Amino acid sequence: MIENGFDETTSHSAKPQSEGQAAGYNRRDFLKTLGWGGTAVALSGCGNTSIENGKETVVSYVEPTDYQIPSIGVYYNSTCAQCDAGCNIMGRVREGRVLKLEGNPNSPVNRGKLCGLGQAGVQAHYNPDRVRQPLLKGEAITWDKALGLIAEKLNGVKGEEVAFLTGTMSGHVRALLGNYMDALGSKNHFVYEAVSPAVERAANKKMYGVSMPRYRIDKAKVVLSFGADFLGAWISPVNFSQQYAQFRKGSRPEGRGVLVQIEPKMSLTGANADRWIAARPGTEGMLALALINALGTAGLSIPTDVTAVVKDYTPERVSLDTGVSFEQINRLAKLLKERSPSLILAGGAAEGYAHGTQNAMAIALLNHVLGNVGKTVEAAAGVPFPQIAPIPGSRSALTALGNGLASGKYKVVFTYGANPVYSAPAVSKFSENFSKAGFKVAFAQYLDETALAADLVLPLDSAMEEWATEVPEYMAAPEGNVGYAQLSVRQPLMGRLYPDTRGAGDILLALLKQRKADEYKGFEDFYAYLQSAIMKNKAALGGADCADDKFWNDTLGSAILPLKGVAGSISAKPAIAGFALPAPVTADASYPLRLIPSISHSMRDGRNANEPWLQESPDPMTTIVWDSWVEIHPKTAAQLGIREGDIVEVTSKSGSIKSQAYLFPGIHPDAVSVPMGYGHQAMGRYAKGVGANVFAMLDPVYDKETGELAYHETSVKISKTGERIIIVKEEGPARGSQVGRKKIAVKVSADKVDLSKEV
Amino acid sequence: MHRFLRLSILLVGMFFAVGSYATDTAPPITTEDDLGPQVEQPIEFPHNRHAGLHDPADDADPSKPAKGGMEINCMYCHTYARRSMVAGIPPLRKCIGCHQSIESVKETPRIKKLFEYWEAKKAIPWKKVHDLPDFVRFNHERHVQRFVFQQNRPVQEACGYCHGDIKTMTVARRQKPLTMGWCASCHQKDHLVSASSSETSHGPNDCFTCHK
Amino acid sequence: MSVSNLLQNWSTFRHEHPINDKPHAEIKWAMTIDLDTCIGCNACSVACYAENNLPVVGKEKYAHGQSMHWIRIERYWGETEVKEEYDPNSNFDMVQQDFQADQGAQFLPMLCQQCEAAPCETVCPVGATNHTEDGLNSQIYNRCIGSRYCSANCPFKVRYFNWWNYPEQENAWPEPLPLQLNPDLTVRTKGVMEKCTFCKQRTYTARNNARSEGRPVHDGDVQTACQQSCPTNAISFGNLVDPEARVAKQWEQQQVDLAKEKQEKDEKADNKLRGYRILEELRPYPSIMYLERVRESAV
Repeated sequence: MIENGFDETTSHSAKPQSEGQAAGYNRRDFLKTLGWGGTAVALSGCGNTSIENGKETVVSYVEPTDYQIPSIGVYYNSTCAQCDAGCNIMGRVREGRVLKLEGNPNSPVNRGKLCGLGQAGVQAHYNPDRVRQPLLKGEAITWDKALGLIAEKLNGVKGEEVAFLTGTMSGHVRALLGNYMDALGSKNHFVYEAVSPAVERAANKKMYGVSMPRYRIDKAKVVLSFGADFLGAWISPVNFSQQYAQFRKGSRPEGRGVLVQIEPKMSLTGANADRWIAARPGTEGMLALALINALGTAGLSIPTDVTAVVKDYTPERVSLDTGVSFEQINRLAKLLKERSPSLILAGGAAEGYAHGTQNAMAIALLNHVLGNVGKTVEAAAGVPFPQIAPIPGSRSALTALGNGLASGKYKVVFTYGANPVYSAPAVSKFSENFSKAGFKVAFAQYLDETALAADLVLPLDSAMEEWATEVPEYMAAPEGNVGYAQLSVRQPLMGRLYPDTRGAGDILLALLKQRKADEYKGFEDFYAYLQSAIMKNKAALGGADCADDKFWNDTLGSAILPLKGVAGSISAKPAIAGFALPAPVTADASYPLRLIPSISHSMRDGRNANEPWLQESPDPMTTIVWDSWVEIHPKTAAQLGIREGDIVEVTSKSGSIKSQAYLFPGIHPDAVSVPMGYGHQAMGRYAKGVGANVFAMLDPVYDKETGELAYHETSVKISKTGERIIIVKEEGPARGSQVGRKKIAVKVSADKVDLSKEV
Repeated sequence: MHRFLRLSILLVGMFFAVGSYATDTAPPITTEDDLGPQVEQPIEFPHNRHAGLHDPADDADPSKPAKGGMEINCMYCHTYARRSMVAGIPPLRKCIGCHQSIESVKETPRIKKLFEYWEAKKAIPWKKVHDLPDFVRFNHERHVQRFVFQQNRPVQEACGYCHGDIKTMTVARRQKPLTMGWCASCHQKDHLVSASSSETSHGPNDCFTCHK
Repeated sequence: MSVSNLLQNWSTFRHEHPINDKPHAEIKWAMTIDLDTCIGCNACSVACYAENNLPVVGKEKYAHGQSMHWIRIERYWGETEVKEEYDPNSNFDMVQQDFQADQGAQFLPMLCQQCEAAPCETVCPVGATNHTEDGLNSQIYNRCIGSRYCSANCPFKVRYFNWWNYPEQENAWPEPLPLQLNPDLTVRTKGVMEKCTFCKQRTYTARNNARSEGRPVHDGDVQTACQQSCPTNAISFGNLVDPEARVAKQWEQQQVDLAKEKQEKDEKADNKLRGYRILEELRPYPSIMYLERVRESAV
């Protein structure tokens, strides 16, 4: 049950939970009674060689519990909050503090694994720069005052004059927020994610009838990915990585899978592809349609309505537009025809254009033509409770909020889980508009840019301290259980580090009590609300035959509530009237290069930038640490006379940044790439002033159909500043060359090895 | 002056010579020097009263203060020793568990103090008596399993190898040097694998096993 | 490790070990890393920071090569043609390669190879690093005097020296970050060499638990931190002596013999196996087998 072993049973903390709860303890009080001392952290390997007696104090438990043994770690299950994938985790807790996070082996999402970003969750919790008290314009105040102030500011304010900006939300905190917005009479809940697959959702809805289907990389013989960095930062990377491991197994019935990645800047997925193809930025949709033509030529039967739509995009013509050779297009078509089922993915790099939705739809059409829909693209089930279903974030939400703020109509604005002051493009003047709001309240764990711009900052619990539930937007399922859906529980893994932080649920409940005291007076805290909400639906949650106590304890023990999902259905081939895929624009002579703001697998939109492990963990492609950089193709660099380490200025019509140049073979020669997530002006000691903020210089071009800010539509010029530095990176001056070395990292052709018998 | 220097060099040399000889051959005996300092504890806990041998004279008149002990097994209180690296100081509830029903001593100063801690739900700040350097991993479980459960040695004897004759003490005091040489002197000896077998083995001599 | 051991002829030892003596009766920890499934995501490296109390050194010290990551991901490009050019205007670019990116990049997790005849062990003047009975290359921090000979002699460059007093003077763990530190191992201080231990604290616990239950260590009883986090299961770790262990099966199937400096299969032209050990020809007898990365040439 609680040994340090790693067998699957360790994740069941049901028993410990039940005892803690049955004894009438609030979990948090119980954790408080644990001694910190017990085993002091062993500092310094040298120095102290003498045996000291009577110097250190050893604090024993006041009231022990059977499962808490000093020096042995206990695992509690919870849910990761570092990104929106909703991986189920377990935290190793020893002597009352959480030490390390692991993946929960029973989770269909991450199956016992956890990425580096998730591992760093403990550093969000123990971060030295957390907000510890409610702050009114920088001055510490009490919670009573803070809540009183909010009530005062809301007094007499109409519903439409209040706005609430959040990141992606789901579960019971979302439900509570919904109730609060109803209580205020406001419909202004804006859900903003700087990095989100919003365009893809829209295209999927049109092409498959569902916005977030389940992808079966593990079942595909070929994966052709148009800029979907599914191993790095796309949707649910740990789940996809697990599938990828299956996909690459030679002993699989389908044989070893082949991955082809088409994107202008090599992502982590591109780096792992059998073939990485740098099509001209923005021409991904065209290439997909050309592949349909080539498939027809190769003998695949294409429905006549599709033929009519794609006939203009001949491989010959598209080859010229994309820069991908005619032979390569035919080779790909041949591969796709021979090896079925395949899986075609459209990701960020294909969608960041004014015609992004069109691109994504063209790519999805390829899945239909190849007969993959229903095989490698499955309908995922939805949760049966719409009020806790995820509201996925988008960038268009920020545009909408920004417009409202500019008109000055909002008197009170709340923000939670979003940092728009940092991630909105400078041209949108969000920061200026934000200041027009009468009273700004930020729920914040750090004093980030948005919290600094707010009037009142409410300190949040970390994900290791709060109660919450989460419904992952991308619903992974155990093998053979298509209708599976789940509700994940996030629970405190230890006591609060600071007495004055609160969970978002607790704050919302307190705010709701201001409005509807009678309705909510029965709930002492969010924990009570959550418990009652789950217990009320016990039968629907699969606990009909289960005693109340046992059901609740099992729920907290596993932290995963499997639900009978609402079956989704994936539609047969949709009717397509035609595509509007523009030929690549001829470069503007004054801004000749295309800017690709890349999404790093650990930095994402910058919300985790203050976790030192992530800053010190090298970017996998460039191996750079603690700074941002500008990736330039060596040919382009040679033309411009740029060498590695030159500080260059990248200028767009909307702004400019300065950063170090890095010569990178994995980028289209007409493009430069700068990672997102760096260049914070606040947030904490590890984030502030590290690198440059690429969001600030984006041009205001939007996807025509969804209104999403098109990330790849910024044209730039690049100039040397004359400064040069030594780049701080892992690979060393030889840039990772293996020349002269014998057999370090070896690559072998698939036909030279026998993978089918491997263990 | 020169004489003094020469003498001191000689003395230092002899010291090292004797020292290195001693580490190879010295048996693990307790000398006055090995004794740790007397540590002052928040409550002067009488180990002798709890773990000490029973004195038949005490049975004659229960109203008199007892002279002997109650022969409580070490692991009754130090319950983690057999399943964890650390032996653990017993939790406060363990003390209260017995003492709430022992009326005869309830009004004594030490027990009063004990109940004060209990009512305040505060942990007693005991001082460490056997405090190894932080880079050393000593595993109680391994030793207890080996000597108590596999070799069927009496508990007090097994614990006593390192902790001395605790049953005669009030507040525990370090009896053995607990230095690496002292540990190694025992690890190099052959010990029976189990009570039922004549096979022997010695403790690990790998630095990595104990140095973390 | 006594003084008399130290004085033995190390060179004889290196020639005989691990062929002639059999030190691993019960356990020999070994690892396999499949480069075909390794995606280079760095999860292992971050997990190692979390498990092993590694300090974050910051940009300046990282630039000086003082980073402390026990496991690092090396990134390589395909190279077809190499032009060595010396740029007289530059202090930095000595070599200009022609890197190929069309088959992606290659990632190689590099960590202590726990060599059976480790070059680091023979040069330590104080015997702070030596071989354990379960086949690890140990590093005893409080014995280390910081001569750094071991690092100089390590062909893999996986030993990391504490140039600074990270816990105290460098404030690598400002409050309350120290609460995250793993009490199962020390936080090393200035002047001490450190390196991957194959998560000694975890193997120790697994052995201890198995012993208490009176059974041998089973495969799966212990996972290293890097293995546990790896999203693609590219790392397998276990006891090479146990024929049921996955790692033992992999070594056998790939015909890689721990005690050989040249594998017979490599002599055969048509062998269809992809297991290899890095720098095997130097005869350190590494305990980590890598599986070559596979690329489909048809596309």
